Amino acid sequence: MASFSTSVTQRGAARTALAFIAPGFLLFAVLIIYPMVRAFQMSFYDWNVIAGAASDFTGFHNYVRAYHDPVFWRAAANSAVYMAFTVPPQVVLGLLVAMLLNNRAPGRALFRVLFYLPVVTSWVVVSLLFQYLFADSGLVNWMLHDVTHLTAKPTPWLAGRWTGMAVVSALGVWKGIGWSMMIFLAALQGVPKELMESAAMDGAGPWQRFRAVTLPAVRPAAVFVTVMLVIGGFNVFTSVLLVTGGGPADSTQVLLTYMYQQAFKNLDFGYGSAIAVLLTLLVFALSLVQLRLFRSDPEEAP
Amino acid sequence: MRRHRKEALALGAVAGLCSALLAGCSSHDSSSGSKAAADSPVTLTFWGTYGNGGNKVQTDALSQTIIPAFEKAHPNIKISYVDVPYDSLLQKLTTSAAGGKLPDLVRADLGWVPKMGALGVFAPLDQKMSDYQTLSAADYPGSVATNKFSGHYYGLPLDANTRVEIANSDALKKAGITAPPASFAELKAAAPKLKDAKVSVFADSGLQGWNVYPWIWSAGGSVTNDDQTKATGYLNSPQSVAGVQMLADLYKAGSIPNLIVGDKGATQTSDGLPKGVYGTILDGPWMTGIWSGQYPKFKPVYAPVPAGPGGSISVVGGEDIAMTSASKHQAAAETFIRFTQTADFQLAMAKTGQMSVVSALADQEAAASPELDPFIKQLATARSRPSVPQAPQIDTDLSNELTAAFQGKQTVQQALDKAAGEIDPLLTATH
Amino acid sequence: MTSAAHPLSRRNRPGNGPRSRSRNQPRLTALAAARYATLIVGAAVMVLPFVYMLSTSFKSQTYVLSIPPQFVPHPATTANYSGAWGSHDFGRYFVNSLVVAVCTTTLSLLLSSMMAYGFARFRFPGRELLYRLLLLGLMIPAMMLIIPQFILAKYLGLLDSLAGLVVFYVAGSLPLNTFLLRGFFAAIPVELEQAMRVDGAGAWTRYRLLVLPLAKPALATATIFTFLASWDEFAWSLTIITTPSKQTLPLAIELFQGQNSTLWGLVFAASVIAVLPVIAVFLVFQRYFVQGLTSGAVKG
Repeated sequence: MASFSTSVTQRGAARTALAFIAPGFLLFAVLIIYPMVRAFQMSFYDWNVIAGAASDFTGFHNYVRAYHDPVFWRAAANSAVYMAFTVPPQVVLGLLVAMLLNNRAPGRALFRVLFYLPVVTSWVVVSLLFQYLFADSGLVNWMLHDVTHLTAKPTPWLAGRWTGMAVVSALGVWKGIGWSMMIFLAALQGVPKELMESAAMDGAGPWQRFRAVTLPAVRPAAVFVTVMLVIGGFNVFTSVLLVTGGGPADSTQVLLTYMYQQAFKNLDFGYGSAIAVLLTLLVFALSLVQLRLFRSDPEEAP
Repeated sequence: MRRHRKEALALGAVAGLCSALLAGCSSHDSSSGSKAAADSPVTLTFWGTYGNGGNKVQTDALSQTIIPAFEKAHPNIKISYVDVPYDSLLQKLTTSAAGGKLPDLVRADLGWVPKMGALGVFAPLDQKMSDYQTLSAADYPGSVATNKFSGHYYGLPLDANTRVEIANSDALKKAGITAPPASFAELKAAAPKLKDAKVSVFADSGLQGWNVYPWIWSAGGSVTNDDQTKATGYLNSPQSVAGVQMLADLYKAGSIPNLIVGDKGATQTSDGLPKGVYGTILDGPWMTGIWSGQYPKFKPVYAPVPAGPGGSISVVGGEDIAMTSASKHQAAAETFIRFTQTADFQLAMAKTGQMSVVSALADQEAAASPELDPFIKQLATARSRPSVPQAPQIDTDLSNELTAAFQGKQTVQQALDKAAGEIDPLLTATH
Repeated sequence: MTSAAHPLSRRNRPGNGPRSRSRNQPRLTALAAARYATLIVGAAVMVLPFVYMLSTSFKSQTYVLSIPPQFVPHPATTANYSGAWGSHDFGRYFVNSLVVAVCTTTLSLLLSSMMAYGFARFRFPGRELLYRLLLLGLMIPAMMLIIPQFILAKYLGLLDSLAGLVVFYVAGSLPLNTFLLRGFFAAIPVELEQAMRVDGAGAWTRYRLLVLPLAKPALATATIFTFLASWDEFAWSLTIITTPSKQTLPLAIELFQGQNSTLWGLVFAASVIAVLPVIAVFLVFQRYFVQGLTSGAVKG
C-alpha cells in the first residue's frame, strides 16, 4: 500500500481516524459481528430452533461429524474445483476486455453495458436460463450436435458430476467477467498515460508496455479482484442450487448448498453452523495467503 | 464550490426522501398495530402457497369467496392471508420460529408437520381441540396419518392430492397399445413395443419416496412397520425389492429416461408426456390446468396406478393446516381450522384443483369436477409416507442409494438393504 | 503510486511532444478491426442468453420450450408483460425495491468511504485488527447469519419494515465497499493532501474536497455494485418481511414459480422489467470512468 503522512501527531491521528471509522464500524459490529459470534456459538450445540428453548451442548461433535462426512469432503472438493475453474478466466478475461474498452472509441459505452449485462441479471434467472440452455434438448446441445456435429450425441450435461460442475463454472465465468472488467476499467484510469507514450516512443512493444506500465498500475485491482473472486467462488450457492440441485445424488454439492440443506431442510443448525465456520476459516486462510503472496513481490515499485 | 453545493443538496434530498419514506412505511406498521389492539376483532395471519406460479384462481377463491364467507359468519375474526413461495416457506417458518415471530396458521406441506410438531412450533391439535376426533374421522386416513408424531396430531388435513397414471393415448397407439397399462405385466409387455416407436413407456423425475413408494406398495411391499419404528425387513423385503426392480430393469433396457436418476437437463414429465416422448407418467390433479394452458391440444388419459400383487396403491400428498403454539389467538385459529373442514371451504377449493380431504364429500366433488374422479378413487386406498421429523433425510438417503443402483453401481437389493439400515435410526429420531 | 520514480519516466525529455497515434494509419486500422472483432464476439457471447430470455418473454407458454430454439418469437405476445406487471402488486414491489436500494446505496457509500479514508490515511493502534475484522465479514456465508440477525432485528424493532432491510444491507455492504475504496484512496498522492493541510484544511475538508472527487471511478463502481446487491437480495427480504405490501421485487419474481410448473414467459418478463433500473444506474455511473480519463488529477 502507499505511504501516508506521519507528520500528524499520533494522538490527533487516532482520534480523527476513529471519528471517521466509528459510525460505519459500529453498525458493522452490531449487525454483522455479533451475529457472527452467535452463529459460531451455534456450532457447538445440537441447536434447538425454537426461540428461547434450551439446546444440548455437544462441544466439537458437529466438527467431528463433518470430518467423517464423505458428502462434506466432496462438497469442499467441488467448491475448490469451482474456484479453480472460474477465478483465472475471470481475472484474465476481465482485464483483457477492460483494456479493449479503455479508450474513446465510439460504441464504447454500448459494449460496456453489454458486457455488464450478465452481472446485472439476477442469479436466479440466470441459473434457470443456463439449466434451460444446457438441457439434453437445449440450445447448447443443439449447437454442438445438430448444427456443428462436434459431438456424436447430445451430452447429458446435468447428469454427471464433472459435466454438471462444468456448466456451473461456465455460468460463473460468464456472469463474472463484466464485474472484474468494471474494476479493471476503474484501475486503468490510474495508468500514467505519459509513461505509456514514452515507452511507445522508446520502441517498447505492446507486451513490454503491458508488463512494465499497465501491470504494475492495475496490480492492486488485480489483487482485489482475485481475493474477492476466491471468496465468491467458495460462496457459490444459487447457481448450484438451481442448475443441478446439488445432484444427482449429492455429487455436485458445494459447501454452501450442503450447509443450506443441513440447516434449512433438515433443520440441523448446529451442523450447518459448523460447516459455515469451517468454510469461513478456509476462505480466511486462503485470503491471508493471497495477500501475503502479493505483498511480498519484489517487483512492486515503492 | 457550486458543484459541492449541488452535491450537498442532492445528498440532503436523498437523505430526506429516505427518512420520509422509511418512516412512512414503519408508521403504517405501528398504526395498524395499535388499531388491532383498540378494536375487538382478532386478526389471524395465515401463511400459504396458494398464489404460487401466478395462480390467481386459488387466491381469488380464497379472497373473494371463502374468507368473506368466514368473516361474515364470524364478525370478530379477520383473516390476513400471506402468500409465500413454496420453496422458501420452510425456511421462512424456521427463521420465524427462531425469532419467535410466527403466524397463527400455516398451510404446511405434509412432510413438515411431524418435524414442526416435534420442535414445538406447531400445536398438538388433538389436545387443543375437543372435537379433533370427530373432525379427523371424516378425513381420509392416509391424510390424517401425515399429522401424527409420537402419539399426537399436529395438524388437520387441508387438501389432498395423489398420483395416478396419466397416459398419452396417441403415443401409446404408435405401438398398437389401446389402453394405459393397468398392471405390472402390461407395463413390462408394452415397454419393448414402445421403445421401437421411440417412446419411453414410463418417466418420473426422481427416486424419492413420492416416486417409488407407489411401486413398492402396489408390489405388495411396505416401507416401515405399522409403528414407523423399523425399515429393515420392510423396505428391503422381497416384494419391495420386486417393485423397484421392475423400474430398474426398465431403466436398464432404455425404456425409462435418465430423468429418473436426477438429470435435471432431461425433458420434464410435464413436457415429455404431451409431446409424445413419454407414454405414461404418474402425476397429480394440477396437471390438467397446466396442460390446458401450455398444450391446449393435448388430451391426457387418466388411469389407476398399474396394479401389482398388492393392488393399485398410490401415495398421499397435499397440505395440512396447523396452528402455531406461539399463536396468541388460539381459540379464533381453531374456529378457522374447523371452518376449513366444512363443505363450503372444501368444495370451493376443490373447484380450483385442491382436492377435498373429507371422504364424505367425494361424490359431490366428483359431480362438480369430473376430471378429479380418478384421483378421488385413488385417494381411497392411498397411503402416507413415513411421518417423522427426519423425513427429508429419509428421502435423501433412499434417493441416493437407489440412484446408485440404477446407475449400475449396486443391485437394487443392496441399495434397499443399505437404505433401510440408514433409515432405521432416522425413524426413531426425536427431532 | 507510480510517478517520477518510475524507471521508464522521461519527464524531462526534450524534443517532440507525444506522438499522436492517428498518424499511423495502416497499423491502426488493422488493430482497431481486430479489437472490434474480439469485442463483438465477446459481447455476443455475453448477451446471447439474455437475448434468448428477452425473446422468450414475448412468447406464449406453448412455444417456450420448442426445439430447435426460436430466437424470434413467432407469434409474439405482450401478455407476459401485462401479466407480470398486473399481478400481485408488482408495481408496489418495484417501488419498495427502489426505495430500499437508493437508501442503502447512499448510506453505504457515505459510511464506507469514511471508513476507507480512516484506514487509508491514518496510522493508529489496532488499525489492522479492525480492518481484518471488517474483511472477516466478507467471508462468512450470509445464510448462516440469518437467524441471529432475525432475533437481533426483532429486538431492535426492525421486523417487517423497509428500514430493517436498509440497515442490514448497509452493514453487509460495508466490508466490500471499504475494501474497494481503501485501495483507491491510498493511491492518491499524499503530497496533495499535505498541501491542503498546510493551507489549514481539516481532515473532513480534505476528505470531502480532495479525496472523494478524485476517487470518482471507485465511488461509481461501489455505487453500481451496492445498488445491484440491494436490488437483487432475496433471503433477508423473505425472512423479515411478512406484510405483502412491503415485499420486494425478487420475492415477486420467485412467486411466479409454481409448486408444480413454471410459467417461463412470465418469469422472464418480470425479470426483464426488474433488470431495467440496474441497467439505468450502470449507464448513469459508468460515465465517471470517462471523467477519470480527462480529470488528469492523478498525473500530478
